[in-house]
Amino acid sequence: MTQPEEDSPGLKAIKALESYRKKDPSKIVVRFKAVGNAPIMKQNFYKINSVNRFQAVIQFLRKELGWHAGEPLFTYINLAFSPTPDDTVSNLYKMFATDGHLIVNYSTTAAWG
Amino acid sequence: MAAYATTRHAQGNKERGTDYHTTLFRRLTWEGTVPLEVRVDAKELPANSNRGLECYYVQAPRVSYLPLLLPEVHKYLMDVVFDEAAATSLKEDDWWFETEEGTLLKWHWPIGLIYDNHTISASVRAAASQRALSQALPLRLILHLVSPPTEKLMLAPSPEACKQAFMGQLKEADFIRWGNTKRITGLRKAEQDGIWESIKEHNFEEYWRIASKVTPAASSAPPIGSPGNNSMHVRPPSIDAGGVPERDNAYAVRCIPARIYLPDGPFIQELVPPLLEDGSPHTLHHFLSVHLPLLFPSRPSPPTSSRVNQPTPELAYALVQGVLTPPEAEMAWLGACLAGADGWLNVCIGLNRG
Repeated sequence: MTQPEEDSPGLKAIKALESYRKKDPSKIVVRFKAVGNAPIMKQNFYKINSVNRFQAVIQFLRKELGWHAGEPLFTYINLAFSPTPDDTVSNLYKMFATDGHLIVNYSTTAAWG
Repeated sequence: MAAYATTRHAQGNKERGTDYHTTLFRRLTWEGTVPLEVRVDAKELPANSNRGLECYYVQAPRVSYLPLLLPEVHKYLMDVVFDEAAATSLKEDDWWFETEEGTLLKWHWPIGLIYDNHTISASVRAAASQRALSQALPLRLILHLVSPPTEKLMLAPSPEACKQAFMGQLKEADFIRWGNTKRITGLRKAEQDGIWESIKEHNFEEYWRIASKVTPAASSAPPIGSPGNNSMHVRPPSIDAGGVPERDNAYAVRCIPARIYLPDGPFIQELVPPLLEDGSPHTLHHFLSVHLPLLFPSRPSPPTSSRVNQPTPELAYALVQGVLTPPEAEMAWLGACLAGADGWLNVCIGLNRG
């Protein structure tokens, strides 16, 4: 018998795993705040898909600011730390939301280490 | 267990430094290594390479990072495999790794986490086919010498970029524990640099000399009622004090920096308070049964008593630092003793075979 049985624990576990991989369709309000002499954005609230990685947030911000490749831009959460670029907006919101927003600070020079 | 119970709460070493068991498990974590095989992609081997020798084997520390491994791989290839022309034309900046299955390896992940992620991904394939998990060791990595997929790798392969990412993780962990990053920012510049240098040099004593100012020890039982007030007048809660103030114990943090890694992604971050609302320690089983109830159904009675007549096979298991972790393990203890050098507790979920 080569095919696993329908109700084998292995398949049950795989089905369970799939359900945790389902993409969460919700959006999260991200609020961008300039630090130091970084340019201020006219609009600074954006709804961003919660499954997006923080890297996508950085890329979005660079585009909005018209930043060219190689121009330095540092991003922080809650004026405290730079998250890993592969973390999701959803994870960061769960952990660090303030008043229903995820606050992302940006700066042209390294701040807070 | 009785021996543990009595020594764990020993009073002698409480005030200064870290207790024996915390140090023991931290050392076991620090000394943990994984076997890696690094093979240069055959299609990218430069002309005149010494074929047949393009494989480098290493037992790499779990707490280290791939950019820190590159110099010795580079040296091996230069000495043994490439000729001089190739050696001068190749740039380490273009190098990148993937697994045999085509998974890109991120520069900023600890090597132990990369290894455990590979183990749990393999567990899914084994569960699907109901075959035994092949015991193939080491983890086979393919080293590419050109065209790095920069966007997907997220980081430049330089030790400096890796250090920045590492410091970011240290601070994020600090923020989760205390709601601010004062412990990290309170370190002198030389100490901040020293943390990274100690990973590079694989120096346990130097790492913990600095890191113990940041990471709380699991030396005491949960501080019921008054969190460490009795020690406040003995030693001011200053981060510059030589020892770890009593209130900085692992059960007194707001939350434990922890991530759950599912096979082939994604990873999940949740708030993990050290104690539950009823004051009992937050166990690994509680954590998993709340966030992954389909894989870790909650149990009707405490785990130790229900295990006797429990015929249902477990669907999944949890690895921490490559160790199959018992469900009754306490999250605060795991965070203090089995976290990586970046302060994070990584829980990797594998599937049991049918």
